[in-house]
Amino acid sequence: MSTEPATTTQNLEGNEACALGAIAGGCRFYAGYPITPSSEIAERMASELPGVGGVFIQMEDEIASMAAILGASMGGLKVMTATSGPGFSLKQENLGLAVATEIPCVIIDVMRGGPSTGLPTRPAQGDYMQARWGTHGDHAIIVLTPASVAEIYAQTIRAFNLAEAFRTPVVILYEETIGHLRETVDLPAPETIEIIDRQWAAPDDRNFLPYRPGTDGIPAMPRPGDGHRTHMTGLTHGEDGFPTQKPEAIAAANRHLSHKLEPHLDRIEQFEIVAGEDAEVIVVACGLVARAAKRAVAKARAKGIRAGLFRPITLWPFPTLPLQALLQPAGAVIVAEMNAGQLIAEVERHAGDHCRVVGLNRIDGEAITPSQILQQIEELAND
Amino acid sequence: MSQTQIEIRLSGSGGQGILLAGQILGDALTLERKRIAQSQSYEPTSRGGLSRCDLVAGTKATDYPLASALDYLVILDRIALHASDDILKTNTLVVIDMSAAEGKDAENGKTRALPLLDTARACNDIRSANIVALGALVELSGVCRADTLVAAICAGAPAKLVKSMLKAVEAGQNLVRA
Repeated sequence: MSTEPATTTQNLEGNEACALGAIAGGCRFYAGYPITPSSEIAERMASELPGVGGVFIQMEDEIASMAAILGASMGGLKVMTATSGPGFSLKQENLGLAVATEIPCVIIDVMRGGPSTGLPTRPAQGDYMQARWGTHGDHAIIVLTPASVAEIYAQTIRAFNLAEAFRTPVVILYEETIGHLRETVDLPAPETIEIIDRQWAAPDDRNFLPYRPGTDGIPAMPRPGDGHRTHMTGLTHGEDGFPTQKPEAIAAANRHLSHKLEPHLDRIEQFEIVAGEDAEVIVVACGLVARAAKRAVAKARAKGIRAGLFRPITLWPFPTLPLQALLQPAGAVIVAEMNAGQLIAEVERHAGDHCRVVGLNRIDGEAITPSQILQQIEELAND
Repeated sequence: MSQTQIEIRLSGSGGQGILLAGQILGDALTLERKRIAQSQSYEPTSRGGLSRCDLVAGTKATDYPLASALDYLVILDRIALHASDDILKTNTLVVIDMSAAEGKDAENGKTRALPLLDTARACNDIRSANIVALGALVELSGVCRADTLVAAICAGAPAKLVKSMLKAVEAGQNLVRA
């Protein structure tokens, strides 16, 4: 008799997998406002959450949706909202509040063409920098970019674990095409899924301060009902949670918000390298484009061209050191992205002078194809 | 990209049930232990306009999930006649409704023009033309077994449509056998 945990094989749409991953990851509160191409997430959450004792609220807009999940998270639940570019713009103010108050939450952005209402039904990758710097002020944030339906499921679970472990908003970005792609996936048995819960302050801690970093640098949260006195504000605050004007306290608070993830990069960073060991031309790409690049790299290798792929799964914090190591022996890098050139600036920062950095961009609402990438690889290899 | 991977496109006009047919065929392939990636046009085409649903299927998960070199193409409406020309192979099997086939080389050994819409009308359900096409495609190509297609319909189609869909599968098969 097999002792392997049972998996369930089924055909799932990306947006469905996101909702199911959220439930499996412990999400019990969803507030959102429907928007193409993310609405199936809300639909599935509305049908799934009541069955597990959770709460679904369709809010009046995206601003209120973001506010609602922060309140529910402060109340002790694991929370999520989902949107697309225009809604993500509206959420930025309260996303900043989540950063400043260190409230765990997960935000899904199914990317469509922009700016503004742009191209509701077309894929794009134009929100890379908005996810990193869309809200004002210095801060750290985690952004994940799954490339398949199976990975959407897994990374959504992981998003909840990261949000809870590090008291941070976690954003998941994927393109409309992946959101509506239906793929065969093997869902793991629930008992095999790793779940991380937030660290609660000890109920009997008489010296509790709501923003005093713990031994891992992350403050424990006061559990509602335990009786801890707490204060949460978007104003720059000291360890007691109250606004401060003291320069040393302000600097300490901002240092914490900017750098609190850095000691934990080994748990946060994820990336995929394909055929990287001797590659002369490296393609850097995320999501759907990375899948096109994977095929292009295989075809290039079949032609004897030493090509490789670097795919950030954790987009932010950007996996700098692994990319630098990969680029050390490489002569050229192609940054393929469905925007006018966002990720390329980050790659250029880390590539070094020896490595030529070339952008491959598409901004017409169509996906970058394997043949486009292969052509670029061949041109660089022949240079 | 592997040798065992196949690419199928169902195409026609919005409202013809192209997406539902693609989901059913995808589920049938999964019942035969294939792993599928299904993508589709995502536009407001429910009242006309080009509609398509693509399946990439193989024994392993595909690297790239979008169709790029079709093995099988179904065309139910003239609007889709040339929409897939850029990803046809020399040996792509094209199953096309006769009303759309005008101007298409029906003598080509790889193109089969069949009265898919008329057959659906004869079954008293024009909406089942998509399933007639699946029946014909399965009979012509063996892309999956007919009994798995039937099982996928019984498991995944709206209950009120199952009976007429099963009739449509058989009608599509009979078109080819004839």
